[in-house]
Amino acid sequence: MMAYMRLELRRTLRTPGFIIFTIAMPLVMYAVFTNLSSFTGQSKHDAALYAMVSVGGYGAIGALLNYGAGVVTDRTVGWLRQLRITPLSSLKVVLAKGIIGIMLGIPPVLAMCAAAALLNGVRLPVDEWLAVIALLCFGAAPFVLLGLGIGYLCTAQTVQPANFLAYFGLSILGGLWLPLKIFPQWMQTLGAYTPTHGYADLSWRVVFHDPVAGTDITVLVAWLALFAVFAVVAYRRSASRRDA
Amino acid sequence: MALLGPNGAGKSTSIGLLLGLLRPGGGSVAVFGQPPARAVAGGRIGAMLQENRLLPRTTVGELLAFMHALYRAPMPVDEVLDLADLTALRRRTVERLSGGQAQRVRFAMALVGRPDLLVLDEPTSALDVEARREFWTVMRRYASSGRTVLFSTHYLEEADQNADRIVVIAGGRTIADGTARDIKRLVPGRTVSIDAPDSIADCLAALPGVVATEFRAGRAYLSSTDSDETVRALAECGWLRGLEVVGADLSDAFLALTHAQKEVAEP
Repeated sequence: MMAYMRLELRRTLRTPGFIIFTIAMPLVMYAVFTNLSSFTGQSKHDAALYAMVSVGGYGAIGALLNYGAGVVTDRTVGWLRQLRITPLSSLKVVLAKGIIGIMLGIPPVLAMCAAAALLNGVRLPVDEWLAVIALLCFGAAPFVLLGLGIGYLCTAQTVQPANFLAYFGLSILGGLWLPLKIFPQWMQTLGAYTPTHGYADLSWRVVFHDPVAGTDITVLVAWLALFAVFAVVAYRRSASRRDA
Repeated sequence: MALLGPNGAGKSTSIGLLLGLLRPGGGSVAVFGQPPARAVAGGRIGAMLQENRLLPRTTVGELLAFMHALYRAPMPVDEVLDLADLTALRRRTVERLSGGQAQRVRFAMALVGRPDLLVLDEPTSALDVEARREFWTVMRRYASSGRTVLFSTHYLEEADQNADRIVVIAGGRTIADGTARDIKRLVPGRTVSIDAPDSIADCLAALPGVVATEFRAGRAYLSSTDSDETVRALAECGWLRGLEVVGADLSDAFLALTHAQKEVAEP
């Protein structure tokens, strides 16, 4: 399994644009958002904190979705079938993919936290830093499953648009691009139930010292279960098409 | 051992069953006395499938190192690279390999675990003549170490040159099983054709080596298991007119054989 993880990691780092899209782009977005001239004083600091969580999470989700959906390549070249005729069990393949996915979310989160501290002078107690980093890294787990499901369901041609739709749609609705507060009421209500919002809100509440919200946890766990079902159903579908 | 048969004979299906990729509609499959999945999990079978391409964005060395790590008593990666003539390509990414090179990588991946049984599904079907020759050279080098290799092909010559035992299948059934010499006696390897009227059909069918006859546009086409003998007999009878001897189209030959068998089985 370690060998498989090593192979997957190397492949991902070799993917053109992977680092640009998951680390460099969010960093640029962050630098631009938080240095708009309209923010000053306390509100600038709050914006820097808010955006650190939302854009960092945005980068991590992008990495996980992209990696998960990459299974479409494995499928279409017959690699999954190749793995089935080796001693490596399918359970280990899925586990390895999950672990790698979560690992790939770590660099965007760390890069964003570093940028927040260095560019915008964000300061947090150590325990809050650790909590935010852990929440942003591990809380993103449902999105690997979503990506895997998309990768099993789609063809090599449809996977990119489907992935972008899920990525941008959920990011905007969940308030990762712009705070939910500035949206109409109905969008705020809808947004509160997105996995992206539940995920980011857990960290926002840490940095803004709000009490932990049970709904965030419930929403995230519910989506985790839903995406797991989605991935399994999509996998079954692709297996019955005899190309898995 | 070779699994020989025309396209659509059931070669890939048989191999899929053997590897546990397909489940039998009826009956059971055992490999080394156990279910295929267990033999695969135990690393006793290595296989190279027909349609599989190599995983993008990897190098030859990485793929082999990965496969190496999955087995209990694998061959050292350097040794495999050497065996499959890949040492110079170790750092090359799979996107930049030629068809023949990629096929040798797939072969190396199948055998790096030192499986007791190596299964190759039509290993040369997509290769040109030169790549095909290189492939068999490597294959024979491996087989000389005394391990079982099962490959499927629709070329009688490949089976003849590379296998000790040949099983012929067509229409999903085994129609022959034996040494290359046995099979060549059964399966017509050549088509002998001459200018002849169809009035002598019965005489032609009785000639040595002939297993099937066909008439088209004033020519007789004889499927023969021994073209030398057939031509000699034709010469003795004085029927050598516009003689032509070509390698047989195996699909037709197999079809003729299956029909012949059915007639024997269901009189």
